[in-house]
Amino acid sequence: MKVLFYIVCFILILFINCKQAYTPPAIASPGSYLVVEGVINNGTDSTIIKLSNTVNIASTSTVNPVFNATVAVEGDNNITYLLTETNNGKYFTTNLNLDNTHKYRLTITTSDNKKYYSDYVPVLNSPPIDSVFFTISNNQLNINSTTHDPTNKVQFYRWDYKQTWIIHSAEISFFKSNGDTVLSRDLVNDNIYECWSTDTSSTVVLKSTSNLEQSIVRDNIITSFPLNSEKVAIRFSIMVSQYALTAEAFKFWTNLKKNTEKLGGIFDPQPSEINGNIHCLTNPNEPVIGYLSVGQVANKRIFISNRQLPQVVPNLSTATCELDTFWFCRPGTSPPNCENMVDEYITYNKYNLGVIIIPIVKVGDIGYLGTSPFCADCTLRGTNRKPDFWK
Amino acid sequence: MRKRAYIISFYFLLLYQVVLAQQNNAVLISVNFQQTKVAQFVSELEAKSNYHFFYDPVKMDSLMVTLQVENKPIEFILEMAFKNTDYHFAISNQFIFLTKGRQIKTELPPGFAEIQKNNQLEKQANIVSDYTEEKDKKVLEATTENKIYEIGLKTNPIKPGNAILSGYVRNIKTGEAVVGASIYVASTKNGVATDQFGYFAISLPRGRHTLIIRALGMRDTRRQILFYADGKINIELTEQVNSLKEVKISADKVANVRSVELGVTRLDIKNIKQIPTAFGEADVLKVVLTLPGVTSVGEATTGFNVRGGAADENLILLDGATIYNPAHFFGFFAAFNPDLVKDIELYKSSIPEKFGGRLSSVLDITNREGNKKNFTGSAGIGLLTSRFNIEGPIIKDKTSFIFGARTTYSDWLLSALPEAYKHSSATFNDFNLDLSHQINDKNNIYLSSYLSNDQFRLNSDTTYAYSNRSIALKWKHNFNNKLYSVVTGGIDRYQYDISSKADPLTAYDLAFNINQTNFKADFNYYLTNKHTINFGLSSILYKINPGSFEPSGNQSLILSQIISPEQALESALYLGDKFDISPNFTLSAGIRYNIYNYLGAQTVDNYAPNLPKSQVNVLDSTTYKGGQIINTFAAPDIRISARYILGENLSIKAGYNTLHQYIHLLSNTTSISPTDVYKLSDPNIKPESSDQISMGIFKNAASNTIEMSVEIYYKRLNNYLDYKSGAVLLLNQHIERDVINTEGKAYGAEFLLKKTAGKLNGWLSYTYSRTLLRQNDPNAGELINGGSYYPANFDKPHSFNFTGNYKFTHRYSVSVDVAYSTGRPITLPIAKYEYGGSERVFYSDRNEYRIPDYFRSDFSLNIEGNHRVHQRTHNSWTIGVYNLTGRQNAYSTFFTEQSGVISGYKLSIFAAPIPFINYNIRF
Repeated sequence: MKVLFYIVCFILILFINCKQAYTPPAIASPGSYLVVEGVINNGTDSTIIKLSNTVNIASTSTVNPVFNATVAVEGDNNITYLLTETNNGKYFTTNLNLDNTHKYRLTITTSDNKKYYSDYVPVLNSPPIDSVFFTISNNQLNINSTTHDPTNKVQFYRWDYKQTWIIHSAEISFFKSNGDTVLSRDLVNDNIYECWSTDTSSTVVLKSTSNLEQSIVRDNIITSFPLNSEKVAIRFSIMVSQYALTAEAFKFWTNLKKNTEKLGGIFDPQPSEINGNIHCLTNPNEPVIGYLSVGQVANKRIFISNRQLPQVVPNLSTATCELDTFWFCRPGTSPPNCENMVDEYITYNKYNLGVIIIPIVKVGDIGYLGTSPFCADCTLRGTNRKPDFWK
Repeated sequence: MRKRAYIISFYFLLLYQVVLAQQNNAVLISVNFQQTKVAQFVSELEAKSNYHFFYDPVKMDSLMVTLQVENKPIEFILEMAFKNTDYHFAISNQFIFLTKGRQIKTELPPGFAEIQKNNQLEKQANIVSDYTEEKDKKVLEATTENKIYEIGLKTNPIKPGNAILSGYVRNIKTGEAVVGASIYVASTKNGVATDQFGYFAISLPRGRHTLIIRALGMRDTRRQILFYADGKINIELTEQVNSLKEVKISADKVANVRSVELGVTRLDIKNIKQIPTAFGEADVLKVVLTLPGVTSVGEATTGFNVRGGAADENLILLDGATIYNPAHFFGFFAAFNPDLVKDIELYKSSIPEKFGGRLSSVLDITNREGNKKNFTGSAGIGLLTSRFNIEGPIIKDKTSFIFGARTTYSDWLLSALPEAYKHSSATFNDFNLDLSHQINDKNNIYLSSYLSNDQFRLNSDTTYAYSNRSIALKWKHNFNNKLYSVVTGGIDRYQYDISSKADPLTAYDLAFNINQTNFKADFNYYLTNKHTINFGLSSILYKINPGSFEPSGNQSLILSQIISPEQALESALYLGDKFDISPNFTLSAGIRYNIYNYLGAQTVDNYAPNLPKSQVNVLDSTTYKGGQIINTFAAPDIRISARYILGENLSIKAGYNTLHQYIHLLSNTTSISPTDVYKLSDPNIKPESSDQISMGIFKNAASNTIEMSVEIYYKRLNNYLDYKSGAVLLLNQHIERDVINTEGKAYGAEFLLKKTAGKLNGWLSYTYSRTLLRQNDPNAGELINGGSYYPANFDKPHSFNFTGNYKFTHRYSVSVDVAYSTGRPITLPIAKYEYGGSERVFYSDRNEYRIPDYFRSDFSLNIEGNHRVHQRTHNSWTIGVYNLTGRQNAYSTFFTEQSGVISGYKLSIFAAPIPFINYNIRF
């Protein structure tokens, strides 16, 4: 009877849900399509349009920027603003003061002389963000925002964010090696103990108020992460950007979200087409990915310090870091046949091994205490330049 | 036709003084008759000789002569023509008398004068009695084969002409009606099949006949009758108890070639039980999937697709009650108790006039009537389910009941699973209770009720529950031998509930239900032996609560959202005639006139014409009061089919059908899911319609044990609902903004080879079919695939099925089931890119690619207990393996982003050989 029971269990595991990795038979991608991302920002903030090409599904990298294109914002009042190319397929301009009574579009001419136009889009400015605050539930820290549009003009919203937080190295390094010798470290200008790590949103946050009498967004969760996250171990800041969307733009973003974030269950819908508002003039059948919106972006930044939060043991990525002693003369060896561990691990040029260990403190004449770069050098995980906005 | 003037009945002829001598003027004649009727036969012989023929054209009507002779005397020709038939001839001088049933003696019998006097007296008496109603007369219970039963008031001699014989065919053991039994009259070569009540009516020449009765699973029998006038006979059949070596003669066989309908399949529960299923329990829906022209999108789906129709285009009836969700537990089990089901009938093409309201097919499931003589029952135990049924008489031979119940006990198994599945649970049950009562000879009532419940939670805190409920009362009334009616009234309900209570702040209850109240009156009028007329009316009142989303508990912050209820009335009047134009050519033609009213209370948005139905194009909205007719759709459905018999075992058939559908299932998932919504046609959602033309050729071989058929069809679909990209279907007050009317076409060819008797039986089917849709109206919002045709979700061009059963001995049999089909279409990701801070995929055109082909083979061994008829219980075991080769058939494929990386997954269900065992007991 017991044997039967196990057989049955086995069967059930097999039938309920057998999910396996699946690589579709070589999907010969018919080509790559232009992807246009960005918002024509009406106001002092810069307008950044990112152009890239799709890559084959089997490709390992998704970065495929489009260089040397001519990008411009065109109004239906025949005013044109040209964008300047910066790095990585980004094209930018600042201080566009667009006229709310006109519509604008984006025109792109790629280096192979293909022309792409977006539809003319009305200027839809986002109302200001009323507040950004945090809440805690189930040991999760949620970042919330509220807004309202007294004119009820904006019914659809999208948010993204850029979060920055202080990280500390496991140890403060008072020394540094230039490869040949060990020097004292300039703790102000050569700080590798305190850095700022930055991350941008990877999910699409959307909200519609079309079912409400007034355009009010309350308790909207922008992002959430565990309370013991390293992000809030010292001090954390988040800049929330709020975009006003038209109904069509909202639909585009909803589909985008559905197609890549929400598929998989037995009852989940089949993927649907994503129709943007950018078209290829040269070849009207060529799909172009992206939806262009025009309007002012509302931003709001908040800071959260660790002391504002309930005390929990932080889950640090440096938790497993340890200090080791690196001897001028390793125990068990003696002059003149000393095994010089400082030469081996710290003053790396001697053996041409590259940085292996960063010296932390000197232990008398014996040698140095040292640890791995990951544990001592926070610039590997962030920047040691304090961001301008930081306070 | 000058001979008409000379036509005199045989009785009258007896009064003549006939000349006994026969002149010997032998003229040699050459003739070549091919399926020649009597009139032509006679006129040709008269032209070639100097004989005059006398005959009764009514009696000689069904005579067909096929004969080719060179230079033979007329006696020889007549001898050959009437050889082995009931027709006779007599030659007297230059006169030839053709008779049927009796031969004319061209000499007077002794005592002729007295007989003549008696005859005349009796004849006068008969004229009076013939017109009296045969009321309060006991219907003959014809039980033995060798007795001659006299029917109608006795006359001597038997009067000429036809009369109508009617009656019931019942199971001798249970008293239950035998459906589809064929009553074949050898002497006239015509026959009739019993209807769903076991009732039949046939027009026969008066006189002596032998009726041959054959029915599925019953022992063949015959009855001898002496037929004087209109009358009734009830025939009881004995079940074929384990007489496995006998050739099983089924009514189907004759039906295959002889019936007028195309694309109709009837399956007896015995066939259904032979087919291996995943958990060893006979499954009505799985069997349907083995038939040509029927496919499903994959395993574990409740829906099936017939000839390019969507899953909601099938009308599924259980004893006349509409079943909206025909499956339990995601489709792993059919919602019909196999111990109660008697037979199923699937109409794919020739849909009778009495059915309507769905585009693709009608699946008519009939439950058994309870045993009217003894208490019996059965029980079955499987790995996941158990079932039980009991039946018996309430009043012996008059009233009976049958009760069936099924339940699952899978929860204990699910809780033993690893952590990932531990918090799942699934339970279901269903109950049937049917009563049948014979009020008197002319009136029967039937009460049937059905309840099914499903509840499951798959690894989340969300509980899904759904339920089918229906009750129907049917009254059958025989007005006379020629006319009977069936009046049905009933209520059907389907509902589902989704609730989540884990987080008190977001605890919710989502509910949906659909209620329909039916009334139906069907009449069957047996006009003459050439015309059978069906007519009737039906009316369905729908009430749908399309969704309410409400907070659960005081703490919940969920905003209550209730979509306003919908009401509609779907009515139809129909008339159909089955017309036997000649013995070989039969035409069935009918019309069903549908009237659909969308009723208030409702607020309907009015959209600007020729613009996409979207929020920006709303002109205004109109509010209608309760019960007010908002709009009406009326359209006729045409149903025509014809059959021509080419040879004894070969016929061709053709048909044309139009259908309309006013209730639509909204689902953009690949299978019917518990969150799908039904929507009624309204001013903004047009009814779906289709028309289909089909042709078929049907052939039986090896004394009707092998049936072959080829059918082809072409179907057009109009206003077929598809969805805009990213449509929201649940809790959508303005559903018309998310759906698109598409047009479609479906075509295909179906091949079926079926062996119905012998140690090896089963069927082999191959279907080639395509279903293509198109949305090319730029005003509708968005073009799908640029307005060109794209395959529907369930388009599977090639489909092959084999279902076979081999009986080694009376106790052991094995069944094998093999299924292959092309993978269904899928929309694949073809490129990826970064957008919105994450990697995204770009999908191909809709349904541009296909998932891998589907293949499955199953095996089962059926062991019957000993075959002694008289024992307390009969036991049987079913042991088998489902998906013998363990092929990991893709149920679906999908691509999902996890921490910024897109991975593809394939979901397989039943991805390994699944052994099963089932124990059944009958008492």
